[in-house]
Amino acid sequence: MRNGDDHQLVVRAVSAQDTAAFGELVRRHQSQVRNFLRKLTGDMATADDLSQDCFMHAWDKLQTFSGRGSFIGWLLKIAYTTFLQSKRKSKRYAQILEQVGHKMETEGQSFSAQSEEVTDLDKLLAVLDDEERAIMIMSYAAGLSHREISDATSMPVGTVKSVIFRGKQKIRTSFDIKDHQYG
Amino acid sequence: MTSKIINMAERIKDAEDRFLESIFDSAPIADDGFSTAIVRKIRRRFWLRRLALPIAAAIGGAIAIKPLAGLVTAAVRLTSLLPQELLAATAALIPQAPMIVLGAMLLAAFLLGLRALDD
Repeated sequence: MRNGDDHQLVVRAVSAQDTAAFGELVRRHQSQVRNFLRKLTGDMATADDLSQDCFMHAWDKLQTFSGRGSFIGWLLKIAYTTFLQSKRKSKRYAQILEQVGHKMETEGQSFSAQSEEVTDLDKLLAVLDDEERAIMIMSYAAGLSHREISDATSMPVGTVKSVIFRGKQKIRTSFDIKDHQYG
Repeated sequence: MTSKIINMAERIKDAEDRFLESIFDSAPIADDGFSTAIVRKIRRRFWLRRLALPIAAAIGGAIAIKPLAGLVTAAVRLTSLLPQELLAATAALIPQAPMIVLGAMLLAAFLLGLRALDD
């Protein structure tokens, strides 16, 4: 039902350039998008800036939403692309700074060390690379299906499954979790 | 049928999946003006884009008016220097000029009509 409502709002926003309809879509999904980016970046302020960029891109591309999958899946695809683009930009920026003699934090350090309180999730996410982190968050936090994750990341469903499998294995190995310890 | 089987397989969660879901679970983030700020930003950008073209045209026009006037004056002076026979011959060379103008007007009317229908 919610999906249907989302689709109606998208149609209204696109056909009449209705910003109020888009505002309602933002209100509905901002929490999931911000949570996704907070987990991915490990930093609240950066995540909220990226979330703003994500919704601005979403408004620009709204007419490309086909309505086949869920709206949140489509939004998370944009959020993930926005995250990757910003990461590429900051990497280039770091390289430029390094060339002129400055040194920036390395990627591994910047994640998880930014927040004073390190949660179980932070520890768990720290053992995963960006791709695994994004896919695990989409699967376990946002509840997207493998098909939706495949659409969002432009990866085949089989690859999505193997990334999840690999992520789980890394978590098991890093935290020395045996099967019977779950639940 | 195949997709139903896949969906079913996805839905069968083991203890590990439930454990991960509980770890990944987080409290919803309150909107606190986030969506209003996005909408305000979009509206501001919309108006900026709408005003950008007329403002650019006005500024460009203001800058171009003086050299344009000079160009027109120079063109008038140049035509007065040309022999009248040459001007008459040039006009005779392009008898289809009225047709071209008429065609352009029809095309413009057609495009405007299409745009009106689109709106």
